[in-house]
Amino acid sequence: MKLSSKLILFITSSKLVVVLLFVFSLPFLVSQIVSEYTNYSLRSQQDKVINVVQKNGIQHYLQGDDSYGSYTMLKEEYIALEPAAKNKHIDTIKTAQRIVERDTLTYRILIHTFNYDQKNYLLEIGKSISSINQYNKTLQKTALYVLMGLIALTLLIDLIFTRILIKPLGKIIKSKLINRKFPFKDYSPPVPTSTQDFKYLDESLILLMDQINEAFEKEREFTANASHELMTPISILQNKMENLLGDENLPESVVLKIIEMMKTLSRLKKISNALLLISRIENQQFVKSAHVKPSVLINEVLEEINHRLLDQEIELKVDLKTDQMLVNVNQDLLFQLFYNLINNAIKYNVYQGSILITDSHTPENGYSIMIQDTGIGIAEEDLDFIFDRFRKANLSENVGYGLGLSIVKSIAQYHDIEILVSSKVKEGTTFTLIFPAK
Amino acid sequence: MKVLIVEDEKTLAYEMEDFLKKAFYICDLAHTIKDGLEKMESNSYDFILLDLGLPDGDGLSLLPKAKKHNPDAAYIILTARGNLEDRIAGLDLGADDYLPKPFSLLELQSRMQAIARRKFNVKEELLPLGDFQVDLQKRLILFQENQIELSRKEFDLLSYLFLHNNRVLTRMQLSEHIWGTFADDDYDSNYIDAHIKNIRKKLNVWAPADFLETVRGVGYRIRK
Repeated sequence: MKLSSKLILFITSSKLVVVLLFVFSLPFLVSQIVSEYTNYSLRSQQDKVINVVQKNGIQHYLQGDDSYGSYTMLKEEYIALEPAAKNKHIDTIKTAQRIVERDTLTYRILIHTFNYDQKNYLLEIGKSISSINQYNKTLQKTALYVLMGLIALTLLIDLIFTRILIKPLGKIIKSKLINRKFPFKDYSPPVPTSTQDFKYLDESLILLMDQINEAFEKEREFTANASHELMTPISILQNKMENLLGDENLPESVVLKIIEMMKTLSRLKKISNALLLISRIENQQFVKSAHVKPSVLINEVLEEINHRLLDQEIELKVDLKTDQMLVNVNQDLLFQLFYNLINNAIKYNVYQGSILITDSHTPENGYSIMIQDTGIGIAEEDLDFIFDRFRKANLSENVGYGLGLSIVKSIAQYHDIEILVSSKVKEGTTFTLIFPAK
Repeated sequence: MKVLIVEDEKTLAYEMEDFLKKAFYICDLAHTIKDGLEKMESNSYDFILLDLGLPDGDGLSLLPKAKKHNPDAAYIILTARGNLEDRIAGLDLGADDYLPKPFSLLELQSRMQAIARRKFNVKEELLPLGDFQVDLQKRLILFQENQIELSRKEFDLLSYLFLHNNRVLTRMQLSEHIWGTFADDDYDSNYIDAHIKNIRKKLNVWAPADFLETVRGVGYRIRK
């Protein structure tokens, strides 16, 4: 999951949790607050009543009666005052029912006993529960609306801010990692950002890629120089041996030794040539301007290689249906590519095996050519390494010098051709070349 | 024929000289551009073999000046650089052929002869080979008036041996000539035997081809 999606998800869900928590706890909270407030107002009324009683004298209210009672018209509140037993001491607030003029109503009642003129009185102040609760609903609703509004606002701000905040990261990923193919030749400018971490990340990536490029460049240079520098000494050795062989008076044993030396030298020459070729391809020293038909190329290869087919009695079938034109390619390199693949298909085939070369053109995959053999196959654990230089699959005999497929890979990369390999040991291997859509 | 070898690697130059002398060429050596130019000014050559990486500059720059002094000479570029641009640039500047190092001296000589046939219009009669006659230009081998059908590779093989007659050529040298850089020494040398067998079969129909000798363990030779 992308960081931005994660952040959006987290922010939204955390706000949602807050809203839910609030919605569930709101009734409880509101009633808690209301009850606290009711208690408080009852107490302050009590203080006021006792104050006025002290001021005006209790008889002012009792007026000779036993008790005093007063309530508002809608019976939402009442105050009652009556004498109490001498040793009775109550000071409480509770919810209870009272009958006021034949109506039984539930009140929040403060009951308090106090002394006045050595007599004990009981004071009751009541507030009807319905009057207490009448604001509950509206209060809850308003609180909810306000909260929702605030949450929506903060959510919006959060989302906009995160988007702005992580935008440089997206840019870094896009410009430095996605769509960048090794070697990183195209220059990608630093992404402007005021976030220290992103700046650091971006700079580190640029630095790393520069270092990789430099190392790669050095390796390439080295390969090119080394193989090039080897050519002159190889030339000297080869020509000396040739001149030696020209001497007719040499004993046979010496001649045979010289031939062995020449074979070894030829191997050295081929390795150097192959390395030089790879480094030249990697240095893009080949012009890609030819338009060729695969069937033409493959026929040229077969002409060159036919004797090997005949020797192993291998049946080769070329079945190119679409025969698409390959445009903007280097013909020599593509020849080499097909040569190496077909040569391998022969080399690693079995006696009287077969090779099938087909093509296909689908809208989704574009144009591709398959080279299928019935050879010894490649073990699954070796498949990843077959294109590595000097790496040969575990074969009983030492064949080739391990650069053929490296050359294939370099040529394919140079032409943006994708290579897929599927293989089964003892059944055969299929190389699929997927050509870029033009 | 007179050859100027412009090559700064002295050992290599001496080997080339050694080889070409045996093939009856007269050789001069130059190791720098300056040296080469001086020799060209005072002599006239049939062949100029030109290395590109010389101590006092690029051999390619020598080419136009050299052509002024020796307009009729055949120029062969020899280089370890071996890249395509050099080849194209060289041929554009009027070089007749291009041989990437390392090359075989046999190959060099066969290229020189091919150029000589082409460029100097050497009126080559049919060359005798045993009871047969060879026309290298038209790539034909005849028995009296009869043309013998050889495949392209078979003729390449026979003419290469013919050019280097009296010299044993190894299977590797032959396969390198025929298949070039694609030759797979151990692998392809067997096919040389097959080709030779075919050539003998086709020739023996008309006359004994015992000039084509097998040298055990080494290769083949045309004895003249």
